[in-house]
Amino acid sequence: MSLFRKVLIANRGEIAVRVMRTLREMGIRSVAVYSEADRASMHVREADEAVCIGPGPSRESYLNMQAVLAAARLTGAEAVHPGYGFLSENAEFSRACAKAGIVFIGPSADSIEQLGHKAMARKIAVKGGVPVTPGTKGCVEKGAWVKEAAAIGYPVMIKAAAGGGGKGIRIVREESQLKHEAEMASSEAQAAFGNGEIYFEKFIDCPRHVEVQFARDSHGNAVAFPERDCSVQRRHQKLIEESPSPAVDKALRARLAEAAIKLAHTAQYVGVGTVEFLMDKDCNFYFMEVNTRLQVEHPVTENITRTDLVKEQILIAAGEKISISPSRALNFEGHSIEHRINAEDFSRNFAPTVGRVEEWSVPGGPGVRLDTHIYQGYQLPIYYDSMLAKLIIWAPDRRQAIARSRRALGEFRVSGVSTTVDVHKLVLDHPDFVSGSVDTGFMARMLEPKVPAEPAAAAK
Amino acid sequence: MDIKTLGKLTKWMETTDLEEITWKGNGEKISLKISNYPQQGQMLPGSSLVAVNSPSIGVFRFAPAGKSNLVKEGSPVKKGQELGVVEVGKEYKPVLSPENGSVKIMSVEDGKTVEYGQPLFFIEPR
Repeated sequence: MSLFRKVLIANRGEIAVRVMRTLREMGIRSVAVYSEADRASMHVREADEAVCIGPGPSRESYLNMQAVLAAARLTGAEAVHPGYGFLSENAEFSRACAKAGIVFIGPSADSIEQLGHKAMARKIAVKGGVPVTPGTKGCVEKGAWVKEAAAIGYPVMIKAAAGGGGKGIRIVREESQLKHEAEMASSEAQAAFGNGEIYFEKFIDCPRHVEVQFARDSHGNAVAFPERDCSVQRRHQKLIEESPSPAVDKALRARLAEAAIKLAHTAQYVGVGTVEFLMDKDCNFYFMEVNTRLQVEHPVTENITRTDLVKEQILIAAGEKISISPSRALNFEGHSIEHRINAEDFSRNFAPTVGRVEEWSVPGGPGVRLDTHIYQGYQLPIYYDSMLAKLIIWAPDRRQAIARSRRALGEFRVSGVSTTVDVHKLVLDHPDFVSGSVDTGFMARMLEPKVPAEPAAAAK
Repeated sequence: MDIKTLGKLTKWMETTDLEEITWKGNGEKISLKISNYPQQGQMLPGSSLVAVNSPSIGVFRFAPAGKSNLVKEGSPVKKGQELGVVEVGKEYKPVLSPENGSVKIMSVEDGKTVEYGQPLFFIEPR
């Protein structure tokens, strides 16, 4: 199969611009789709062609499969890149693309379904010999709640089978709370995902979030990249990601990579994906979930391995082979940190802010990559997520990467909207982050005493 | 919910920036939504003409297959009259006249690809 001549990007914002960059380098024409609220958006300007597919609300534009497919057909695009979010993990959309004769740049509908359903994904992990947290084999019926929870041992975590992004997770520390919490979790899941099925897992205290990027092509070649550490998160939303993890050594890295490759083969996965693990203090790692899309934090992997993951996605979707060998994928140089800069007011509990970006003066210089769709004078639409930019740093080692991050964040000057730039500076100055000993509870602990007491600290 | 409360709620919603709200309770569920049909009835600056915009991305047809539509430049039209349809997938989305008047300009041809919000006709209101 030859490569595509034209690809439609079913997304907006920085990721749409990011995908277009690779397309242009590969000599492939790009088609942007946009909502009425995004007429002045950067991805519309950067694309070779752009079509308006609907009004501002995502449900009627970026999530409107019929409109996206019509745009692909009418512009003659042979493939659709879904980016992340929106339709990227929607099996129905992947299937609709296939039916319309358009290549979905991502895994098959079956893979998305299997791996998107947490209990099913867990079964695949067990089958592939990937370590999982002690937990129920599948979904738990109401009558078995007490017995199953006792078998795992408290604290127990209740999760929604169809959940994601941290939604629907509840922690139960003793049996007396179990019935109430499980009922709440089930009805919440029913309301949010239309599926009230829940399952239990052992709750691991103070874990690190470690994930492995992998890729597998239709010829059965699979590679895994060095792990990313995404432990700096707030309410399950990642703020800072880095690669490699300060808590992982060479032997552990090899085991993580092996687990990811086993999983990819077991699931017969074709595409680029990420397997997320929880890692306890003794460096035992447990399967958490698989993301069947390109992730926000993919650039840190690209940085230290000198690869282009979007290019690999496109090659795989076109039926080509992955362009790098397994040993080359795992071979890395230096250290990379990504900072997600959001339009949020952290003195007001990270409330999203909207408005016009009056000043947009961005960092540059050695080792600085900025993935963004923002420009001076841009009016932030109210409909979409609050991410303004990803600042991605590379340096020869972690210590220098932190110093470079600090320098680059200091060059970031934005006015008109509030940003999280100062939060990142606080994290970089925190001894626990500097020493590399953070877990997923780090942000909550850092913010708890400080924010109400001395909001002025952020203004420095 | 009774009509009176609903009326109040609708009025209140118009005073806010909200596009959509859903209210649940007492076994009832009510969703209110501001119409997302592209802005219609917009006067062009310095002109009395009103643009009729495409309700969807798709292919414009004066009429669905098997039906006819004789609208042409100069034709009188009524508010709500179907001027054509936009074919998207297997669906036809109607293009409706926002005003009573006559068709002054037709800026689309049968079978042409159109975007969401693209002006298709200009109406001279009466």
